[in-house]
Amino acid sequence: MGKLKFVLAATAAMLMSNAAYAETLRIGASLPITGGLSVSGEKHKRGYELCTKLINEAGGILGRQVELIVSDNRSDPATAINQYERFINVDKVDAVYGTFSSRLTFPVGSVLSKYNMVHPIPSGGALRIYAQGFKNMFYFQVNAAEYTGKDVVGMIKALIPADQAPKSVAIVHADDFFANAIAAGLLGQKVIDPANDKQIADLAPGYLADAGIKVVMEEKWPEEGFNDWLNLANSIKRSDAEMIIGLTASAEEAVQLTRSLKTVGATPKLVYLSQGAQTEYIEGVGKEAAEGVVIHTTWHKDVPFESTIAGKPFNNADFVKAFEAEYSAEPDEDSAIPFAVCQGIEQAIIGAGTTDNAKMGEWLNARTKDDPVRTVLGRFSWDDIGLPESKSHIMTQWQDGQMRFVYPTGEFEGISPMAYPKAGF
Amino acid sequence: MSEIIQVTILGLALGGVIALMGSGLSLVFGVMRIVNLAHPSLIIAGAYVTYWGFKLWGVDPIVMLPVASLIMAAIGVLIYRLMFAREAKSARYSEMTVLLTFALAMMVEGLLGGLFTNTQRVTSPDYATAAFFIGDVFVPKGQLYAGIVSIVIIASLSLFLKYSRLGYAIRATTQNRDAAELLGVNVNFISVLAFAIGIGLAGAAGSLVSFVFSFFPAKQWEWIAMLMSVVVLGGMGSILGTVIAAFSLSIIAAFVGTWVGATWSTMTFFLALFVILLVRPQGLFGEKPELA
Repeated sequence: MGKLKFVLAATAAMLMSNAAYAETLRIGASLPITGGLSVSGEKHKRGYELCTKLINEAGGILGRQVELIVSDNRSDPATAINQYERFINVDKVDAVYGTFSSRLTFPVGSVLSKYNMVHPIPSGGALRIYAQGFKNMFYFQVNAAEYTGKDVVGMIKALIPADQAPKSVAIVHADDFFANAIAAGLLGQKVIDPANDKQIADLAPGYLADAGIKVVMEEKWPEEGFNDWLNLANSIKRSDAEMIIGLTASAEEAVQLTRSLKTVGATPKLVYLSQGAQTEYIEGVGKEAAEGVVIHTTWHKDVPFESTIAGKPFNNADFVKAFEAEYSAEPDEDSAIPFAVCQGIEQAIIGAGTTDNAKMGEWLNARTKDDPVRTVLGRFSWDDIGLPESKSHIMTQWQDGQMRFVYPTGEFEGISPMAYPKAGF
Repeated sequence: MSEIIQVTILGLALGGVIALMGSGLSLVFGVMRIVNLAHPSLIIAGAYVTYWGFKLWGVDPIVMLPVASLIMAAIGVLIYRLMFAREAKSARYSEMTVLLTFALAMMVEGLLGGLFTNTQRVTSPDYATAAFFIGDVFVPKGQLYAGIVSIVIIASLSLFLKYSRLGYAIRATTQNRDAAELLGVNVNFISVLAFAIGIGLAGAAGSLVSFVFSFFPAKQWEWIAMLMSVVVLGGMGSILGTVIAAFSLSIIAAFVGTWVGATWSTMTFFLALFVILLVRPQGLFGEKPELA
């Protein structure tokens, strides 16, 4: 009798769990939790997980609880491809979230396109990704990396008197998908698709030339394994450039470069880095060295973006509060961006009324400036190739150990005056 | 001229740290024929010990060095007992250790990631980003101190190996394990000791690395190729060779970085590995492999 009860109970439990499984809405994300991109990958995981938790606490999406499946792709493109194949064919996910970095996003794009999945991209700014012609790609940052220089130069023109603006620049960057793309825009290079030698864009004369800033040094370092930071910093110092542009592919590189510039005693008027908004940056370089360093970001904790979770208002300040409660740490853009991706997919499923990815894609493509997706990164609508429309980078600056946003002016409250020139490191 | 002096100084400064990072790897191979692919992950573990000492109690990384070394040496004993002791007499011992240490590297990375997350860390004592300026030339204090400490440790290790009874035993075991055993050397104990010293050196290197480079668990994969280049060029098992190779390659890489381009400076290490394997597989100071 005891055995019979056990079998009946086990069968009932199995049936109930199967029913629950069937009702669960499954979403897969392949992230670089280990390997060279792991610092940002781990933070992306937190962003996705927090958003999923908040959605489930609010009752789920279309009445279904969300099950988030995160796999570690070890920063390896082939593994990322395999994991998305697995999500779709084995785990039978209803939707996916994108991965981190242009390097991984580029190959993943073709897999998701093959299965007609909506591909929300948290990180993958290189123009080449969008020039592949895939449908249903949606980039959740500001614009293609090649166009980042527009905001850098815009900030210089708007905030620094012309006679005091830097006249020369040393531009150093990682030999990386993302960093090369920003450099191409600044230097006015052609963007070529290496697969077919087709020109994607001609960015001449480049944002720096347009602003009358002379490039006195250009150098790149390898994507992985570079340790000779002091030597690089020494070359930058010897170039006597008034401005230093460091296009680092990770916060770790930003720390190494800044510490080395401090060690060699470089004294530029202005330093702009493509990474370094993370809390690890200030911890790694210290307040003094970071003072005055400008970094472009997609997100800042004080910007009053308004968005929703489960149809209810959930603004940027709510996100910061929820993140701090969950992780006992302040968020940075590496967690805010995936959070926005998750919000975008939630709104797409609710808006389309289904997890049919074709209909979700139609709904996202139909967004406009007046009827956008609302996220903690602000409002999103996209052009034909999946790049956001009418968005600008937030130019931030480290001031007394705090990230202040200094540009664009007049768009948000809480803007801080820019500190210029930089007083050493 | 000042540029040549400056670049040489920067090469020497980097070489000192790399020499210490590689010497533990070389010692472990020399004595036990273990190609320890997990060595960089254990350096990172030592760097974490140092980081937390600095972060929680403000202990200087160089002061933390003996602590990190001892903790890592104790972990080394544990690793040896669990993973290598039983296989020591296997005919394919060296080949097996490559797989075992690769697995160990993955496990250590996973464990460190689980404990400390994959967030990058670095210690920041005042000297880490300061320099002595002599005219146009500067000497980075952090690298200088790290280099001096490295040389002191390596010199002490050399003296220990050359003049102490345990050192004799280690060298005898390195040269011929069976003969050493016949002469009464307790090769099992010597193996544990040498492995513990090797991993202790990883801990010491971790303390110095903690303020020279930023680190996180996955950083190990960037370091293993560089360290293997240095150890192979010097001659597997030759600590002197490792030191000379580390300084030579670092200086060459610094000049390549300055005159050819930063992209190519990292290639210097890999190119050296490629060339030495083709021309002189035993390295500068290694023994010529016997033909079967």
